[in-house]
Amino acid sequence: MLVLTRKSDEKITIGDDIIVSVLEIKGSQVKLGIDAPKGIAVHRSEIYERIQDENLLAANVVAADCVEAEKLWKPRKGNQDTVGGESED
Amino acid sequence: MKIETTRFGRVDVPEEKFITMPHGLLGFPDKRRFCIFQQKQGSPFVWYQSLDDPALAFVMTNPWLFKPDYRLDLELAIQAMGWDGDGDQVPLECYVIITIPRGAPERMTANLMGPVVLNPNTREAVQVVLSDEAYSLKYPLLQQKAA
Repeated sequence: MLVLTRKSDEKITIGDDIIVSVLEIKGSQVKLGIDAPKGIAVHRSEIYERIQDENLLAANVVAADCVEAEKLWKPRKGNQDTVGGESED
Repeated sequence: MKIETTRFGRVDVPEEKFITMPHGLLGFPDKRRFCIFQQKQGSPFVWYQSLDDPALAFVMTNPWLFKPDYRLDLELAIQAMGWDGDGDQVPLECYVIITIPRGAPERMTANLMGPVVLNPNTREAVQVVLSDEAYSLKYPLLQQKAA
């Protein structure tokens, strides 16, 4: 891992078009600004980890429990909405 | 084509229904090929079965069946996947993964933070990360009753 020391208002450039700026340092917290091209996902790592953990749990579902779950949950309508216009309004 | 699954034995899925996840699912980056099938006709659930690992399968459902106000910004997914090439609006399908604790189906939850978005034209899918904290990782499908 590359380790760099940066002060407030200093930046790091990754590749041609990703810039990480140190906006503010306060105690043990650092505020970062990230400029990245559209299409590059930037998220807090914990969110990735939480979704990853949930995926691992979901992968353990057994078929018999799914059959039971079907009996418990009766959604009103069975239409398969597609994302697009419907999600924007 | 017949595919091997641990849960359902051999399942016949037409090859044109195969799905590729170029980035895999979070936690399963090397499992890239999946298919969707129903265990039972008319069920609100589908199985998202890995073609690379017979034991790997997820239960999914349509989020709008239980959360009509669910909203997600797909711009990022569309651009990251290069689905915007056609110019026009891409007709995407969205699923959320369901976790059913073993032996406790009444406690099943939906992961609204990491929906799976499928482009039926390219047969590609991606797990989108919604950093919007408004959505739960464990949204109970059966509400109220327990209260």
